[in-house]
Amino acid sequence: MNLAVAEAQGCALKAKDFSSGAHPIWCPGCGDFGVLAALERALALLGRPPHEVVLVSGIGCSSRLPGYMNCYGFHGVHGRALATATGLKLARPDLEVIALGGDGDGFSIGGNHFIHTCRRNVDMLYIVMDNRVYGMTKGQPSPTTESDWDSELIPGGSRLPPFNPVAMAVTAGATFVARGYSGDPQGLAELIVAGSKWPGFAFVEVLSPCVTFRPEEFEWKRKVRHDGVLVENDRGAAVSAALSDDGFSLGILFRGKGPRVDHQPPTTTLAAIEEQFLLPSPDMA
Amino acid sequence: MGRTSLSVVFAGSGGSGAMTAGQLFLQAAAAAGYYGIMTQLFGAQVRGGESAALVQVSTEPVESPPDRYELFVAIDWEKIDQFAPEIPLDDGSIVICDPAAGQVPAAIAKSKARVLTVSFDDPAVTRLERALRGRRANVCAAALVATLIGLPSRHLDSALIKLLGKKSAEVFEANKRALKYGAQLAKTLPVTLALDDAAPGERWFISGNRAAALGALRGGVRFVGCYPITPATDLVEWLAPHIRELGGNLVLAEDELAAINMVLGASYGGIPAMTVTAGPGLSLMTEAIGLGVAAEIPAVIIDVMRAGPSTGIASKTEQSDLNIAIYGSHGDAPRIVLAPTSIGDCAYTTEWAVGLAETIQTPVLVLSDQAMGQASGAIPAPTRRPSPGKRRTETKAGEPFKRYAIGSDPNTPMPRPGTEGCEWVAEGLTHNEAGLPVSAAAAHAAQINKRAKKLAQIDPGADWGECWGDGDTAIITFGSGVAPAREAAIRRNKAGQATRVIALRLLSPLPRKALRDALEGTRRVVVLEQNHTGQLLQYLRANDAVPASTESMARPGPLPFRPAEILSRLIEERA
Repeated sequence: MNLAVAEAQGCALKAKDFSSGAHPIWCPGCGDFGVLAALERALALLGRPPHEVVLVSGIGCSSRLPGYMNCYGFHGVHGRALATATGLKLARPDLEVIALGGDGDGFSIGGNHFIHTCRRNVDMLYIVMDNRVYGMTKGQPSPTTESDWDSELIPGGSRLPPFNPVAMAVTAGATFVARGYSGDPQGLAELIVAGSKWPGFAFVEVLSPCVTFRPEEFEWKRKVRHDGVLVENDRGAAVSAALSDDGFSLGILFRGKGPRVDHQPPTTTLAAIEEQFLLPSPDMA
Repeated sequence: MGRTSLSVVFAGSGGSGAMTAGQLFLQAAAAAGYYGIMTQLFGAQVRGGESAALVQVSTEPVESPPDRYELFVAIDWEKIDQFAPEIPLDDGSIVICDPAAGQVPAAIAKSKARVLTVSFDDPAVTRLERALRGRRANVCAAALVATLIGLPSRHLDSALIKLLGKKSAEVFEANKRALKYGAQLAKTLPVTLALDDAAPGERWFISGNRAAALGALRGGVRFVGCYPITPATDLVEWLAPHIRELGGNLVLAEDELAAINMVLGASYGGIPAMTVTAGPGLSLMTEAIGLGVAAEIPAVIIDVMRAGPSTGIASKTEQSDLNIAIYGSHGDAPRIVLAPTSIGDCAYTTEWAVGLAETIQTPVLVLSDQAMGQASGAIPAPTRRPSPGKRRTETKAGEPFKRYAIGSDPNTPMPRPGTEGCEWVAEGLTHNEAGLPVSAAAAHAAQINKRAKKLAQIDPGADWGECWGDGDTAIITFGSGVAPAREAAIRRNKAGQATRVIALRLLSPLPRKALRDALEGTRRVVVLEQNHTGQLLQYLRANDAVPASTESMARPGPLPFRPAEILSRLIEERA
C-alpha cells in the first residue's frame, strides 16, 4: 500500500497520536529512531487506536522503544519478548500485539523462542532491529556480527558464522518474512503494515545501524537494495535465496502456510467439570 | 468390631500393571463407600523399571502414609531389590505371590512376613490365550485383595469399566475373566481381612495435582503456559482439555523460560494465568518471577516439589524448594508462597493463590510436592472455598493515569489493555509512578516500599494455616508433612502426651501473629520438614517466629514421613 495515497485519503489517526513524547536514550544517529518513526506511521495507517495496541519488548537499546510510544507496552526480561507476546495474544486475540527488540535479544538469549514462535504462527508481528552488535553493554559481537569483527572482548573476531535470521525464520516455519531498513521509514512502515495485517506470525528484520559501536554501518545506506524477491510457499527456494543473498535486499521475502491458531468459546461449565470427582454414594453404585 | 483399614502394596516391574492393580482396587473400594489413597513408587525408567502402587483403604478419611504395610502382593519379583527397602513390612505382614514367579527374594523374606502362594494364571485360560492376550495377573491380584476385604463384585465390575472400559471388547472380556478368577482365589486363602462399613459422607475421587488444577479453574485461571516435568505433568494433562472447554488456553511452551513469560503476558492482558512446574523448572523461572514482582503482574506458579538439587530424583518427593520459593530471584523480590495442607486442600490453596495474585498483583507460588500431588484417592469432598479476589482495574476519568502511583493503597489499578486513556507499560526496570524507567534513588526506594507494603498489608484471616489440638508440644510443618504429623499427634494424645499440629498454608509473608497465637501455651516446638538443611526452621528463626529452643525434625526425601518415625524422633530428640 502506498502511504502517501493513504495519508492523502485522510486517515483518522496520525503518527503523532502514537508518540509518548518521551525522549529516547538512543545515541544521535541511531537507526532505531527511524524504526520508531516508521512504527508510528504504520500504526496510524493501520487504524487501530493506541489503546488497542501492545508493544512487547525484551532488553537492549531497541527494547526501550515501548516507553517512547503512546500505547500499551510490556518491557520484560532479556530475550523473552516473543514468549510474553505469545501469551498476551493467545489470551487477548482482540489486541494488536507487536513484539520487538534487538538481534542479541531475539537471536542469542531469545533464539529458542524465535524458532518456536515461527513454528507456532500466532497472529502477531515481530520486529528485530538488527545492528549486529550488543550496544547497551558497549560493543560485543552478537549472533549476526561478522565473524572477523574486532572487539575488546573477542580481539580479531568471533570466527563464528553469522546467524541468518531470514533463513532461520523460513526454516522454522514462519509464514511471513521481510527485511526493511531504518533509513527508509516509509518503506519500513509499509512492511510493518503488511506484517501486521498478515493472519499469522510475521517477522520483519530491520537493518538498523549502531553508529556508536559500528560506525561502518553508515555505509548500509549505500548497500541496501529494494530488490528482494518474494518467494511464495516454497521454503527450500526461500532458504536458498536467503543463504545466497548478501543480507541487504529489502522487501517481503517469503510468504507461506502455517498452522491456524483458533480460539474456542466455552462449551461447558466448571460445575459440569467438577462432577467427575464426586463419588456416588455406595447404595447408588 | 472388625478391621477399619488395610494397607496394601501391589508391586512389579514396570509394565506389569501394578499401578492399574492399585487403581482398580482403590476405585472398587471407593465405589463401595470407603476412603482411601494411593501413592506411586516409580524408578527413573519410563518403561521396565520398578513400580509399586501403595494403597490404603479405610472406613475413615486417611492421608498419612502407614507405618507398615499389612499386605504385599507381588505381581512379579523383578526389580524388587530396587524398592524393597522403601516398603516397610514385618512379621505381621502377609505376602501374596505366585510360585511361578520364583522364590520370595531375601529382601522381602527377611521381614518374616507370612507368605501365601497363589497362581495368578487361571487354569481355565489356555497358554495360547495367555500368550495372545497377556496374563492379567494385575487384574487378578486387584480382585483378590478386593474380595479379601469383602467388596461385592459389582464394585469391581464398575471400577473395571471406569479404568479399562475403553479397551477392545476382547481385552475387556479377558480382564473380566481375570477379575472373576481373582475373586475365586481369595476364597481359597486362609485369611480374612474384611473391613467394617465405611462412615458416610460426601467423597471425591481426586489427586492432589487434579485438585490444584481444579482450584486454579475455580479461581478463574484461563491461561496456562507450561513445559513437561515430572511430577507436575499429570496436573496439566488433566487441565488441558478442561481449560479449553471453559474457553481458556493451555500452551505447551518450548521451555520454562517461555512458560512463565507467556503467563506474565497473558496476565498483563487481564486473564488470570498460571504455570506448573517442579524444581528445575522453577530455577529457570526465577528471573521472570522477579519481573512479575517488579512490574506487579499477577501470576500463579505451582511447584510440585521433587528431590533435588539439580535433576535429583524426578519421580520422588522432597520439600527442599522452600528457599528458592521464598527467596529465589536477584534483588529484593518478596512474593507470596503458599502450601496446601492436604490433597483436598490443594484445591482450596490454589484457588486462594489465584485470588491473592489478582488482588496483590504479584506472583504467588504454591508449594505442593510429589507425595501430595500424585497421591489420589477417595477423600472428603473439598467443598470449602476461599473468598474470591479480584484485581483492581478502575481508573479515575480526567486524571493522567499512573500505573505505579504512590499513595495510601499500594495495590494500584491495573487497567486491561484496550482501556482507552490508560496506556501503560509493564516495566521491569526501576521506574517512576508513571512506569517510565528511572535510576534515581528516591524512585527506587519508593517502588520497593510500595511492593513491600502490598505484602505487609495482607490479612490472611483464618486462611493462614491450620492448628489442630492444644497440647504443649507443637509440631510445625507444611505440605505432605501435615498428614503424618496429625496421625502422630492423634496417637500421642491418646497416650496422654498432648500434642498439637500447626500447618502453615501461608509461608510468605509469614503470618507471624497467627503463628504466635497458635504457639500460645506450648512448652516444646519441633519443625517437621523434608529437606536436609531445615529450610523452614531457618526461615522461622530468621523471622523470630519460634522459641530459641525449637527443635528441628528435618531430613531429606524421598521417603515419606511415617507417624512412627515422627513419634520415635520426638522421643529421641528429647533424650
